[in-house]
Amino acid sequence: MRLTRRDFATGIAAGIAAPYLIRSANAQGATIKIGMCAPVTGPAAESGGYAIKGAKLALEAVNKAGGILGKQGELIVEDDQTTNPGIVLAFSKLASQPDIVGFLGSIRSTQVHAMAPDVIKLGKPVMIGGTDPKLTHMGNQWLFRFRPNDSYSGRVIAEFGVNTLGKKKWAVLHSTDAFGTAGGNALTGALEKLGCTTFDQGYANQSQDFTPVVLAIKQSGADILGSYFTFENDLGIFARQLRQLGVNIPWVGSPSIVNITALKLAGPALHNTYGVADYAENSSEGSKAFGKIYRDSVKVAPDNQSSWTFDAINVLSAGINKAGSTDPGKIREAILGIKKFPGAEGEYNFDQNGDGLHGYNIVKNEKGAIVFDKHIEFND
Amino acid sequence: MDLALQLLFTGIGIGAVYALVALGFVLIFRATNVVNFAQGEFSMVAAYLMVVAVEAGLPYWAAFIVALLGMALVGVVFNLGVYYPLRHRTYLPVIIATIGASILLANSVLAIYGPQPQVLEGWFETPGIQVGPVYLDSQYLLIIGVTICLVIFNFWFFEKTLLGKKLQATSQDKEMASLLGISVSTMIMITFIYSAVLGGLAGILVAPVLFVSIQMGSTIALKAFAATIIGGFGDVAGAIIGGLALGVIETFGAAYISVPYKDGFAFLVLIAFLIFRPQGIFGERVAEKA
Repeated sequence: MRLTRRDFATGIAAGIAAPYLIRSANAQGATIKIGMCAPVTGPAAESGGYAIKGAKLALEAVNKAGGILGKQGELIVEDDQTTNPGIVLAFSKLASQPDIVGFLGSIRSTQVHAMAPDVIKLGKPVMIGGTDPKLTHMGNQWLFRFRPNDSYSGRVIAEFGVNTLGKKKWAVLHSTDAFGTAGGNALTGALEKLGCTTFDQGYANQSQDFTPVVLAIKQSGADILGSYFTFENDLGIFARQLRQLGVNIPWVGSPSIVNITALKLAGPALHNTYGVADYAENSSEGSKAFGKIYRDSVKVAPDNQSSWTFDAINVLSAGINKAGSTDPGKIREAILGIKKFPGAEGEYNFDQNGDGLHGYNIVKNEKGAIVFDKHIEFND
Repeated sequence: MDLALQLLFTGIGIGAVYALVALGFVLIFRATNVVNFAQGEFSMVAAYLMVVAVEAGLPYWAAFIVALLGMALVGVVFNLGVYYPLRHRTYLPVIIATIGASILLANSVLAIYGPQPQVLEGWFETPGIQVGPVYLDSQYLLIIGVTICLVIFNFWFFEKTLLGKKLQATSQDKEMASLLGISVSTMIMITFIYSAVLGGLAGILVAPVLFVSIQMGSTIALKAFAATIIGGFGDVAGAIIGGLALGVIETFGAAYISVPYKDGFAFLVLIAFLIFRPQGIFGERVAEKA
């Protein structure tokens, strides 16, 4: 067989075009891809594992129920290393894949702040769990939040501590990162409105010793402690030292206080503490249903690390199906139009800022078991 | 006064941990003239070995011995795999190799054991005792006690035993030691084993306080490295004093100036030493002839 010049040229053209054709075929391919930045390594690697499991469980259910736009959903996970540079890199890797239609970002506000400029540049919907109120109030229309923000948690902690526990002299302990600072400010603001005195104390993440912090709280004469911890290790070390140094005042914490990892590390040091929790297993039918699915599959008690990603996948899938398209603008409009959507974390009613939840649960640690007390919902 | 006493005890306790890891840095530096950036990971690996041994049902003391023996093995493998192939190169490739080994160790433990932080119970059932206004954490008491014992042991070992003197001779001048019939490679091997065991000991002792996690090694090592510089790089007494000083300074700085800048105080002291006394507390000034 003779190879003519025309055959040769055709062969070269086909060789050059083939990768593009294959990529294009994949883009319109058999699956709808969702990208997820999660801490596979780093200090939050354990909770990252729970987050991935929550997302996968939701996607399995979505796929069984007919999928997204009639296709199977596929989750592409990139390790954010629990760091800000890590999540920027992870998100850029995912963003470079044109066939990914939506993303799950971080539960950590500081990481969401780091990736936010790239989210605007990309212009595709990103589901987040970070609770710094600013995240959905800084003009970034592509961020959708799947946990109640800290303006709610601060108000719930303050109202519960003042009106139910009757305490007015507060120590407010918080991490100095974006999450902790925002939470601390929200709580202090809410307490001032209720006429309380506050002693503000920040700490740096990954501290090995909290003795100076505990002694400062002791000396402040506070009769109740409110806290915003970012990492469970820190919370565990602090809780133990707090009790060892004889501080036994009531403690109402942000959701990390009822986190599975924190409960394991701190053990009895967290008994009889209270927490505001976006996920509480007995708070609604949706929460109970998720709890059962998660326990059956993962054999561990569920917490907010997995519940928000579970809800994020469900809402994103529902949004795409409702939009009938993978066009980012149409998906955005569809998500913002979602009302009374029953999720594991509660009922989703998205406002124009992209906040889906507007209330918190109060729970109590009774000898290691997290017991639901009540749900407080806000209309603003 | 009560506050100061409590802070002093805690500062010495956490400083003793830095001192133990710093000691490992110093011993390897003296023997090989390179900084082993995997020293912190030795602490982390030992803590995980201890957890695995306890979970396997071994009594606490037996798990402790198994973990330390495991660390001796890690020291052998580290020497043969990381230092020995590069021993004739300049210090830079060896340092880079230790950084690579540190990442490898951390990720290997992550891959084998998973990311879950673990709780390791302390040696004593009583978490601590109240002496007047000061609460003495039993684990910190143990750490301080072990550090004191190690200072005495190191003095005896390096000054009074033939093996210790051989190790000192090797660290001072390898060529001369070799000419005197000392097996330099054996001495370096022993140094790596001892340093790995020391790092491991620090990890096992501090694990009940800080929990067992992949990051625990790097967190401690950074401070221990600073302590080594403050004490005088290459000086055993300097490592101990530097570690204790760093622990006390950061604890008091956090209590009396600012908690969020606690780590900052340690590194401010480090920068001050690098500017005004780069040879550290016990280091000797080295001048170059024109």
